[in-house]
Amino acid sequence: MEEILVIAEHRQGAFRDITFEQLGFAQQAGALNNLSVTTVVLGMDAAGAEQLQSACDAVLYTDDARFADYNAPDYLLALSTIIRSRRPRLVVMGHTAQGMDLAPVLALRTGLPLITDCLGFEWTETQVLARRQLYAGKIDARLVLKPADTYMVNLRPGHFEGQPDMGKKATLEAFPAPVEDGASTRRFVEYITAETEDVDITDAEILVSIGRGIGKPENIPLVEAFAGAIGAALSCSRPVADNQWLPKTRQVGTSGKTVRPKIYIALGISGAFQHQAGMKNADTIIAVNTDPEAPIFSVAHYGIVGDLLEVLPVLTKKVTSTEV
Amino acid sequence: MNIVVCIKHVPEVIDAELKINKDGAGVVTDDLEFDINEWDGFAVESAIRLKEAHGGKVTAITLGDEESEEALRNALAMGADEAIRFDSQGFEQSDAPGIARGLHAGLAPLAPDLLLTGAQSSDDGWGQVGLCLAEMLGLSYASLVVDFELKDNLIIAHRELEANTLERVELTLPCALTIQTGTNKPRYVSIMGIKKVRRIGIETLSATDFDLEGMIGAEASFMAERILSPPETGGHAEMIQGSLEEICERTAQVIREKGGLA
Amino acid sequence: MTATRLTFWHINHEWLFYLLAVAAILIFSAGIYSHMIAWRKEVRLRPLQFHTRRFAHTVLEILTGRRIFMGDPAAGLMHGCILWGFITLFIGTVLVAVDHWAIQFLKGKLYLILEFVLDVAGLLLIVGLLWALVRRYLQRVPRLEKGLTHAGIPLLLVIVALTGYLTEGCRLAAQNPLWGTWSFMGWRLDFLWSDARGASTTYPFLWWLHALISLGTIAYLPYSRLFHILAAPVSVYFQDDPPAIIPVETRETTEEVYSFRQAVFFDACTRCGRCVAVCPATGAGEPFSPRDYILWARDNLKEKYSPFRKKRNPEQKGITPGEGVSSDSIWHCTTCRACLEVCPVYVAVPEAVRQTRSKVVEEGGDVPGALTQTLKKVYKYNNPWEATKTKRSNWSKDLAVPDLTKDTLPDGLCYFVGCTTSMDTRAQSIARSFSAILKHAGISFGTLGRGEPCCGDIARRAGEDGLFEINREDCTALFEEYGISRVVTSSPHCFHTFRNTYASYGALGDDAGKVVFNTRHYTQLLAELVAQRQLRFERRLPVTVTFHDPCYLGRYNRIFDAPRNVIKAIPGIRLKEMPHHGPDSLCCGGGGDRMWQEELDGDPKMSIIRIREAVSVGAELVITACPLCLIMLEDARKSDDLESKLRVMDLNELVVEALGLEQTSA
Repeated sequence: MEEILVIAEHRQGAFRDITFEQLGFAQQAGALNNLSVTTVVLGMDAAGAEQLQSACDAVLYTDDARFADYNAPDYLLALSTIIRSRRPRLVVMGHTAQGMDLAPVLALRTGLPLITDCLGFEWTETQVLARRQLYAGKIDARLVLKPADTYMVNLRPGHFEGQPDMGKKATLEAFPAPVEDGASTRRFVEYITAETEDVDITDAEILVSIGRGIGKPENIPLVEAFAGAIGAALSCSRPVADNQWLPKTRQVGTSGKTVRPKIYIALGISGAFQHQAGMKNADTIIAVNTDPEAPIFSVAHYGIVGDLLEVLPVLTKKVTSTEV
Repeated sequence: MNIVVCIKHVPEVIDAELKINKDGAGVVTDDLEFDINEWDGFAVESAIRLKEAHGGKVTAITLGDEESEEALRNALAMGADEAIRFDSQGFEQSDAPGIARGLHAGLAPLAPDLLLTGAQSSDDGWGQVGLCLAEMLGLSYASLVVDFELKDNLIIAHRELEANTLERVELTLPCALTIQTGTNKPRYVSIMGIKKVRRIGIETLSATDFDLEGMIGAEASFMAERILSPPETGGHAEMIQGSLEEICERTAQVIREKGGLA
Repeated sequence: MTATRLTFWHINHEWLFYLLAVAAILIFSAGIYSHMIAWRKEVRLRPLQFHTRRFAHTVLEILTGRRIFMGDPAAGLMHGCILWGFITLFIGTVLVAVDHWAIQFLKGKLYLILEFVLDVAGLLLIVGLLWALVRRYLQRVPRLEKGLTHAGIPLLLVIVALTGYLTEGCRLAAQNPLWGTWSFMGWRLDFLWSDARGASTTYPFLWWLHALISLGTIAYLPYSRLFHILAAPVSVYFQDDPPAIIPVETRETTEEVYSFRQAVFFDACTRCGRCVAVCPATGAGEPFSPRDYILWARDNLKEKYSPFRKKRNPEQKGITPGEGVSSDSIWHCTTCRACLEVCPVYVAVPEAVRQTRSKVVEEGGDVPGALTQTLKKVYKYNNPWEATKTKRSNWSKDLAVPDLTKDTLPDGLCYFVGCTTSMDTRAQSIARSFSAILKHAGISFGTLGRGEPCCGDIARRAGEDGLFEINREDCTALFEEYGISRVVTSSPHCFHTFRNTYASYGALGDDAGKVVFNTRHYTQLLAELVAQRQLRFERRLPVTVTFHDPCYLGRYNRIFDAPRNVIKAIPGIRLKEMPHHGPDSLCCGGGGDRMWQEELDGDPKMSIIRIREAVSVGAELVITACPLCLIMLEDARKSDDLESKLRVMDLNELVVEALGLEQTSA
């Protein structure tokens, strides 16, 4: 039986959510196309590999400590060897800091077509189709792929569903992975986690979040007034943190924090997928944006097309006057 | 230090209304303003700062049509020393490795000590070209770099991971880095600055100068076709409409209903 | 016996005095030379021409000290004492030299009168100097710096004068002439010497002491603040010289930042601090003061060019931030010109600041992020507000205003709406009101519709001269293409840019720069319509209003009366002036590109300081005539919770209300 190869992602001893999303996707694609799902785990022992046992058909693992922390040269060598020898139909990774670093070079080395930031992949009767987005999520693209024995996809984080238990019982198989000889030209040193500060936005019940549309830092007090009126904490999207208008610890999104408040109010945030991944599980999402085509409206429950600087003062009045 | 930075001239789309062109494979760019890709601006700034601190030469290269020389002029005005444009003729419908093959042909003779690119482009967003180039040049690399320094023969870089976590990696030169936004503050390029560099010749290369037959364009691409469509906007969102007063009234009501203002 | 006095009486080694005098003059000249070098280096010298009118004005201005009296009579009187004491003593010394070397004429009455006058002059000088010290250290006039080093020069001059009196007194004690009382000051000091013999012995010592200190003062003059004695007249003479316009094209090989006249201005500055007292940015507690800026710029120049100053870093070219002036501070200046209005030596700080900015912009230096974004928008989208070119004519969607680029309107007036008036939702009302008024008055006019470019004011104030030139070329080309000869603007900024900056460029003889159109600000047009009775106000409008003079309308273009005449023509209205009005108007904080850089704001903001002044005079309405002022003041009114107390209106809005027009019915 041909197979889908899922490259598991873990950090500091724990599997990343994306791994289960990959497995969820692989499970569905496998079922549709009669393919088994094999997971490759580099740098974990049997106990670690067992955590994936209920989510796929086979787990290949190597507990070589040199793979414990992701390092491109080692991973590339090990994975290209496996891909060449197993010739799967599909290799599945995540469009994460690890997958983005690894996949382009792995694909080039193994000669596979790679769809990064992939939103869908299917074999139809006549075609192979992949879906992704262009122009910061403002255009959807369907790609018709040329025939190939193996494809490689980097799945957009948060887009697919998956859970650790899918009622499967995978075989566990240890394998000796090849390791590069001599000194590597790239070396992992350490993880650095941002220090926590005053407000932990993951604890907030209500979040008011600002994006590029805020225009300039002077407008932030306007938002603070509104947030204060509804008892919300303030968070932001990447451009605001990039400009250092708010600390990085307030950033919602893949490279920032994942939040799940009762209400998430997105002001002037266009909604790049990285941002969406960090907030789309909020119970209620209200989005204000001048651009009616902004991708944020695709995850929002309530949308307002307008300039946040015009909406906010009025809205602040409304929420304060009716509070009594 | 021989630094090469790859850049791309892209349409600005944040506030723009995008229309799909007739054949459905691209967007209408006539009404769009073009600029240097946001990520690439940070990459150029990184290159210039490195040069200012350690000396060396910065060469900017792009693969694009004549219009894209504007991005190169921008890089020159920021402080790059030389610029190369690889003409995009023949690269229509190339996939990312195809683009990388062209750029590789153009910049391999420069034998860079350090190759910098943006982590991705704002139009296609594949996030592949920089790393493909590294691989083609046989360089070690790190992607999504938010901060790096040069120490002797070593680049100490911080990669941006998920959840407010960074990863410190060390690379030996020569190597390649793809730069994430927010790394620095790209300097303002004045019109005067651009005028000053207008006499710097931009070297033009084209696919015909190299043996790229069958390695670029639609022929070499893994894609047979691309069909664009407007995104499924709105999804399940209820769009609140009316006068500003009405909109805000309704929004306040929603906030109240959903447990705000409790 | 004829009253006279022997020069070099009792003094041996006369030659030594001349030797020292020559040395002093050499040192003096070297000092002058070092200044001139810096002046010269910075110049692209226009051929200097002698203007009799200017010269006469300079002499008058210097001798009367008119600008020093202005606003501070005590300072004027104090400075007058020193100035006239100094000048008289100088003339006296010259006369003595002439008497000694050429013709002896100082005898008898004439000599005695001179002795008397010189003693009066000495007294004046001492009184003036002591008064200066009292003002600085006892009265503690706020604008004056209190550091003890600032006492040095006055004390030195006091010593010169006192040793003069002592020498004189000693001589009189020794000679005891009959006419001694004419030297009423020295005469009084003869009690210091018990007899003539003792005085004769002391005299040479005192004489040499006085001579040495005096010669030393002369040698030191160009190296001290006293240099203003020479620089100020030059500065006053050049005050009307048009600002240096150096097109970007020709700028590539030049390094200079400032113009000749600016270099002179800097040297003329005496740190009197009048600019500090009126600067709105300083007043709002922002880290900028015109005086600090001038001193920094002067140091910069000297460091670059003076043969006597050690270069801190020979590699360094261009702008380096100095002490007290960070590279950020230059972005604080609103270019309001309040400082120039009060400066006794006409130092045009806004212009110099603009040039510093230009250098920073061109060298790729640290331009504030918000300004960078604004400039990029102007470049890409032709306006500082929106990332699109399409919204420019949105304000007139329902108004049927002719588009001069499409509709033919023979000899029609071109209403140049301006970016802010077109784009900002508050300011749009200016355009709607003005259109309504023009229609009401039956004036045929049109706009440039969506094709209207930015006039270039924003780029110009930021020092982005390349961008300014693009804006200017776009505008002139458009005016030429559609045969536009009469332009009226909403904004004093567009007005100033067209009328003055374009004209300065045009004067360079560049064909593309020829200004073939005539520009007016709308207040001028409204005043004209009122005067010609084309606008008549029938309804009474019983409100108390105050008028906020926009800097670029008032101080820059001296239009103070036109808007007031319009206001006064409305029956029932009461115009109450704020303490700061007319040439003394206080900036709203929006000029010089501050509109787009709110992060620089002090606390309280300039606009809040201004609106509070309006409240203090009991105005119910603040009228202004500039979109930037309108937005800034409107914003201040809201953020200072004054919404119930007063309203802010553009003059057009007031006229519309007085005429009982509806903006939309236009």
